[in-house]
Parts: sequence; C-alpha cells; structure tokens
Amino acid sequence: MDHSIQAGHGRNNPLWSTPLSRWLSVISLVIAGLAGCERPAAPAPATGASTAAPTKPQPAQVNSVELVFPYGSEKKAWIDAATQEFVASGVKTASGRSIVIKPLPMGSGDVVDETLSGRLQAHIVSPASAAFVKLGNAKSQATTGGPLVGQTQDLVLSPVVIAMWKPMAEALGWPKKEIGWSDVLAVANDPSGWASVGKPQWGAFRFGHTHPEYSNSGLMAVIAQIYAFTGKTANLTLSDLQTPKVAQQLEQIQRSLVHYGDSTGFFAKKMFAGGPAYLSAAVLYENTIIETMTAPPGSAGAPAMPVVAIYPKEGTFWSDHPIGIVQRAWVTAEHQDAANQYIKFLLSRPQQTKAMSLGFRPSDVGIALASPIEASSGVDPKQPVTTLQAPEADVINASIELWRVHKKKSDIVLVMDTSGSMGKDRRMDNARPGAVALLEMLGNEDRFSLLSFSTKSNWAMRSVKVSDHRSQAIESVNNLFPGGGTALYDSISEAYTYLVSQKAVNSDRISAIVVLTDGEDTESKLRLAGLLSQIQSDRERQPIRVFTIGYGNEADGKILQNIADKSGAKFFKGTPQNIRQVFKEIATFF
Amino acid sequence: MNTPTDAPRLTFLGKFVMLLFIAGALGAAYYLWPKAKPASPSADPNGTGAAQPSPTQSPREATANAVTIGVAYGTEKKRWFTWAVEQFAQTPAGKNVTVNLVPLGSVEASRAILKKDKTINVWSPASSLPKGEFVSEWQMQFAGQNPILKSESLALTPMVFVMWAERYEAFMGKYKEVSFKTIAQALAEPGGWNSIASKPQWGLFKFGHTNPASSNSGLVTLVLMAYDHSGKSRDLTMADITSVPFVEWARKLQRNVTGLSHSTGTMMQEMIQRGPSTYDCLFVYENTAIDYIANAEGRWGSLKVVYPERNIWNESPYYILDVAWSSKEQRKASQAFLDFLLSEPSQQQALTHGFRPANVSVAIKTPESPFTRLEGSGLRVDLADVAEPPAPDVLANLLLSWQRARSGN
Repeated sequence: MDHSIQAGHGRNNPLWSTPLSRWLSVISLVIAGLAGCERPAAPAPATGASTAAPTKPQPAQVNSVELVFPYGSEKKAWIDAATQEFVASGVKTASGRSIVIKPLPMGSGDVVDETLSGRLQAHIVSPASAAFVKLGNAKSQATTGGPLVGQTQDLVLSPVVIAMWKPMAEALGWPKKEIGWSDVLAVANDPSGWASVGKPQWGAFRFGHTHPEYSNSGLMAVIAQIYAFTGKTANLTLSDLQTPKVAQQLEQIQRSLVHYGDSTGFFAKKMFAGGPAYLSAAVLYENTIIETMTAPPGSAGAPAMPVVAIYPKEGTFWSDHPIGIVQRAWVTAEHQDAANQYIKFLLSRPQQTKAMSLGFRPSDVGIALASPIEASSGVDPKQPVTTLQAPEADVINASIELWRVHKKKSDIVLVMDTSGSMGKDRRMDNARPGAVALLEMLGNEDRFSLLSFSTKSNWAMRSVKVSDHRSQAIESVNNLFPGGGTALYDSISEAYTYLVSQKAVNSDRISAIVVLTDGEDTESKLRLAGLLSQIQSDRERQPIRVFTIGYGNEADGKILQNIADKSGAKFFKGTPQNIRQVFKEIATFF
Repeated sequence: MNTPTDAPRLTFLGKFVMLLFIAGALGAAYYLWPKAKPASPSADPNGTGAAQPSPTQSPREATANAVTIGVAYGTEKKRWFTWAVEQFAQTPAGKNVTVNLVPLGSVEASRAILKKDKTINVWSPASSLPKGEFVSEWQMQFAGQNPILKSESLALTPMVFVMWAERYEAFMGKYKEVSFKTIAQALAEPGGWNSIASKPQWGLFKFGHTNPASSNSGLVTLVLMAYDHSGKSRDLTMADITSVPFVEWARKLQRNVTGLSHSTGTMMQEMIQRGPSTYDCLFVYENTAIDYIANAEGRWGSLKVVYPERNIWNESPYYILDVAWSSKEQRKASQAFLDFLLSEPSQQQALTHGFRPANVSVAIKTPESPFTRLEGSGLRVDLADVAEPPAPDVLANLLLSWQRARSGN
C-alpha cells in the first residue's frame, strides 16, 4: 500500500483560502455585451493570510494519478473530510495506480473560469450551482465545439435563503405568516426601519447579499428579487426587466444593503459575529445557518442569538453542487477512471450522511432528511415550496445590468501610504495599478476621494463623481511617489472624520475607507486606542467600514486586522504580486 | 444526470427506420401482453423460456483471468443493477468479472456505441424502441454486420403518473381525474395552483416527462397523449394527430411542460430531492415510481400513483454486442451477467425495485411485493387497456409536432 504518499497530498489544506468568484468574467465570455469587466490576471488569492496558489497541478508521484479538483468553497468542510477518508481507503485505478486528490476551494465563478482558460488544469469540477456549468459549457461550445464539463451529478443540495435573527423574523410575523421579499422591502423602505413593526430599538433595517457579478448567492438574490417584483415564478423576460416598478423596487431594497462582497461565507461570519447591529438579515445558504446554529454554545462560530431561514414566499433557487469530469486533452482515461471512483465515493451513503450532518441535503434520496435539518437549527425541511425557474443567459445579463444601475452607491476614500519604504521592492510601482483597478471597478455614480500620506497627509481629491473624474483620479494615483514617514493613524482618522461629515449629506451610500500601508505608524499624534475608539463609537450611528491592506512583510497585520474588525470590514495581506487582486476583491464590497 | 449539450436531431432516415422498429416492437408487446394474467404477469414476451438457473445452483466456471465489461443502461434500472453488480461479484461466475455500469439514455447509448465507445460491451435500454435505428445506422456505417449478438428481455414495466399525495387531493378536488386532458388543463391555468385549489404558495402547476427525442419514456408519453386525446386505444391515424383541435391542444400542453430530462431515473430523483416546488407531477415508468415512494416519505411526504387509461409496456432488453472491441472473454462474461440478472434472486430484486419479472417463476403478488405493500399509493397489477402502437408515419409526425411545439414554430 502506497497511499501514505498520497495522504500527504490529499490532506493538504486547499491552496486558496477564499479566492474570488469571477462570475462576470464567465458570463461576459458567454454573453455579448458585458463590457468593461476584466478577467483576473491570475487566480491568485486576494484574501488575508492566504498564500499564492500555483496555477497548474504539481507533478504527482509516478505510481499515482492526481486529480485537481476546484470546487465551490461552501462545501469545504465536507470535501476535506471526505477526501481524507477517500485517500485513506487506498483506492486504486484499474491499472493499479494510487489516486491523489488536490481539492481547491474557491468561488464558483473561478471554478469554471480558471478551468476554461486552462490556467488551472482541473480534472473534475464542482461549482455551487448548475448555472456555472451551463455558462462554462456554452462558452466552451462556442470556442472549441465541445463542452467543458461532461455529464454531472448533484453532490448535495441547499436552498438559497434569507437568514434573519429569530426575534426580527418574529416581529415580521414569522412563523405564522409566510415572509418574502415584499416584507423585506416594506421594512427596508420605511424610513423608521424596525420602528415600523414596533421595534424602534433595532434601528434601521440592515440587509446584505454578495456581489452578483462575483458570487452565486448574490446573483440568485438579485434574480429572486426581480422575480418577486414581477409577481412571476418562471419565464422571466427582458421586457419584465424594463418595467419601471421592478427598477424602482430593486433600488429601494438595495438601499438597505450594508455592503456587497464576494464571499457568502464572509457575510455569514460577519452577521453571526457582529449581531443584529451589523446585519438584520442576509442572503445565505440553508447549510450555512445550520452550521452556525449547531456550533457548540460559546464557541467562536456560535451566533449571538438564534437565526432562522426565511424561504421567500415568492420563491427561491437551489444550490445543487453538480460534479463532472472536465472534457479536455489533459484528462486521460486513467484520470476519468480515478474521477469516477472519487465521485462514487462522494455519493456513497456514508459520505452523504456526513454531508447531512454538516447541514446539506444529501443528493442520495435514500437518506431521509433528519437532524440537523430541523426546526431547532432554524430551518424547515419541508421548504421551499416555491422555486424559481433559472432565466436564460441574456436575462441573467440584463438583470446584472439593471442591478448595476440601481445598486447602492458608494463613497470611497483611498488612503495610500507614500512613505519612503514604499520605494522598496517595487511596492509603489505595483500598488498603483492595483488602486487603478479599484477605480475602474467603481460605478459611475460612486464618489471617490484620495488621501495620500507619509509624514503628513494630503488630499488629492475629495468626493468626486467617478463618471466625471475617473481619468483624473487615475492620473492622481499614478502620480504618487514614495518619501517620508508614516502618519497612519492620523490619516485614517482624518479620512474617517471627513466621511462622517459626508454621511450627513449622503446617508444612503456605502461609506468606506480603503487603507494601504507597508509599515507601522511613526508620525501620528493619535494613538491606536484613540483611533479604535473613534471608529467603534461611530459604527452604530454612522457605519463606515475601514478595509485595511498590510502591504509587504513590514506592515503590522495585527493592528490592521484590529482596525478592520472594529469597523466591521476586512483585513487583507498584500504583496507586490497579488495587490491588484486584493484591490479588485475589495471593489466587490461596493 | 445533467447533460452538457442538447442532443443532436435524428436524420430523417434514422427516424424512419427507428419508427419502423418502434412500430414492430410496440406491436409485439401489444399482442403478447394485454392478455397476461394479473397474478402472474411474468409471461415471457421474447420466448426466453423457463427460469434461468440461479448462480448458486449452476455457477459458471470462473475464468482464469479477470475481465471487465461495460454495461450501458437506462437509469430506471439503476438501483437493481447496482445491487446486481455487487451480488454478481460474489458468485463463482462473477468473481473474476468487473461490471462497469454506464448510465446513458437510449439515444446517447446508441450514439456512443456507433462511435465505437470501447467501454461498452452490453446495452440495456428501457425498451427496444431505439434498437431499430441503432442497427440500421451500424449496418450502414460498418458494412452490414449485425451488432447485436444476443437479445433478452429482463423485466417489464408500464407507465404511470406520479404526484405528491397532498397535491393529488387538491388536483382531484377540481378535475376529478388525472389524465393528459386534466394535466393539460392544469398547465394552462394562468394562476396555477391558486386557480386550481386556492393555493397561491404552490406556484404554477409543474409537470414533467423525459425528452422524446432522446428518451424512451418521452416517446411513449407522446403516443399515450395522442391516444388519450382521441379517446381510442388502437388505430391512431394521421387524421387524428393532424386534426386542428389535437395539434392546438398538444402544442399548448407541450409548451407548458416544465421538465424535459434525458433520463427517467434522474428526473424522478430530482422530484424527490427538490420536492413539489420543482415537480407536482411526472409521467414515468411504474418501477421508477415504486422505487422512490419510500424515499419520498423521508423527504417531502407521500406520493400517489395513477395509471393512464391506456398504457404501453417497456421490456428492458439486454443486448450483448457483437463488436470488434468485445473479446471472447467479455462476451462470455456478458452472458454470465445476463444469466445472473435472470436468476430468481435477481428477478426478486427487480420486483423489489418495482419491475414485473421476466422470469415466470417469480410471483408478483406476494405479501412483500411492492404491488401488495404499496396498494395504498395507487399501485395495481391489472392494466385497463394496452394501447396499440401507431403506424410509423403517425409516430414520425407526433415527434415532429413535438419538436415544433418546443421550438415555438
């Protein structure tokens, strides 16, 4: 038995911790008309603490066959455990070679996009929903005459739901009354927020879903909202999207969004850790709620109070996790043999049972739904009663376009370190195109400010409308040069104070600061404690997120993580190699 | 399984040859089966004779060397065949044989073999409908050789409507019967379940059958729809299916059909996985419905089975291929697996999964039989009427009408 060699591979943690889902890049290749959207230069990770991933499989042992397996990261816990068992079982191919699995959790868009481009020579793939396989196959058919992925089987299922704090759901009438998008719209629309249902102490209704161009749950959320506003459950058409009422209601509901983002998991984590003050509700998967509700009380993953799944009465979608073998020359007959054995293993009764213990509905219908898919986990195994028909590609495209026009607008301050150390290792040379990428992804109606700092800070521009000043802003970024000390805290504070003043004028915008620094503070009068106190005290009243990028090895990640956490934002570790990708991921929040 | 692309359309010649065969196959089934005794419907339509020997009674000598065979099959037999492969491996005849099951729809399997897919040594579709086109295409491409070495029927099953019990009650409340006529009426309700039973939360009425261009059960569905509309069970004519009322009715119905899977088993599995929000009702093989009734209880609740007024038999043929890539050992192994499938234990297992056994020594109406246990779900052994297969030109026009309706022409 030589599986001990493979165990090393199989047990490797996935290479990409939370890579970007590049929905748009897949869709734009399939559907004409999605201009202005760049494909990522490489599938490098953009999130904090992750390391760069290779884009091609490493050579496997001669006596083994290796399967590169990118998959939607929602099922990481299950795939990790199942793969470990598969490797330990010592299964071999017909020719006697051992099977090595290299599981790579990532956004579903990237699963297809990276395989389609050949940057990742995957052998089997499993995005979060069949829509990605359809889009990938359509693109592949157009360019190569054949599909990218062969026949697929659903590994596990989970409905897309609105996760809401139980007391809030009850205030809306749940569980006696069926709740849907119309109820969310009503409370989101009311200027008095939760006071409209007799709960003034809860403040405004704060809603969240991911960016529809980058994440499956975000796209499903936007399409479900549009369906609800048309009153349909099937056959969504382009003319439906042109109805003024649909656009108006979409804009209204989007106004309640705290921010977007590329990862459903991030929303879940933030919602459950931040409590109702951070988010009243978010669009998540049913399994995410179960995972949280079954976490041991007092553990890091346990929620502050119970959360329930709302299955929108107007209808929702299934996340069906299809798995299939890639149809490319690098997939040999032996790879297929190995892939079939691995898929069979994942669909076997013990592994399907394990998936259910983690909150998924098993694909194997021989397994009756049971704990933890039950009311005590905040979910209802007899729901959803209404599902929506997946629209055609052109309608998906038009839905995204409609969302772009009516999404919540942003007011962004970029706080850029231009201290002398930024001249090392081409840091500034690489940071500039990253910041430009952020600017290019902002919407026309968004507002942008640039505050550079070294020993002192300097406003290059304040709250300019992106559509009118994009070129000027890019030029300003390209004119940043290193020199001087690092007045980090004073500069963040200055930007924060400025956005607070702007918030009084533009309260319906996503307000955020993006800070890039490569070192510790050396010049500020303000201490860290003072800064943290400032951004925390205003969080409730004036939610302004401070996204931080620790650039290079000398930045203090702990301090930057602390600043991001206090404001309910996210910390990223940047390098000259991945900085462009980091900026692009941050852009998905706006 | 989900298929990556739409299936290519058949050539006209292909369709014609296929339809000729369909006519013959359906004709044979019609004349052989309608008079079968209810209590023992295991009469052998293909003359396979008495029960096959049990592998434990007369095991074949194991071959010295291991051999692998690939069996392309319709997913309606998935659970039976999966069991059979595991059990066969425990027998003397099967211990050196590895059986690879390749789940493929009828047209897909035919196409794979025509492309000389060397992983397939045996083909077992749901019925003999696709055989005619397959043999004809093979003979055209490869100079007249018959690619089928041996053909035997494994088990039989008719067609049924399967509906969630709660929705069946609501449906019956309004329409009084489940038939293609009432299904068409429900599909045409603009308010869906709100109009049918004041249940707006159930959404539109959702009905599915498989794709007639790629799946046997879909083609059978078209035939039975036409008969249902005509009110006849034989002599379906071109005049019947080209009459304006029928064409309009069928077109409207087909445009409202929700699902068009390539595989009956996969479609039924989806109904259980996703529940009534995805399908209210399917038209499937009886055995497929039986196979999933218990699973439905564990997910969304009870299922109700309803037989159409007129029915058609599907006989699950087993074709051992006479192809260059099948070695002598593989052919022997294919025969050994066939022997096992027809043995009493395997036929008993087929009955467990809802098939009516081909082996006459296996009784259908025992206390443990699903036909006894699941009577409450609507199962019954007798078929009221078995429809006569229509003439090839009628079938060709039915398929053409369907393609036009779906493409919106």
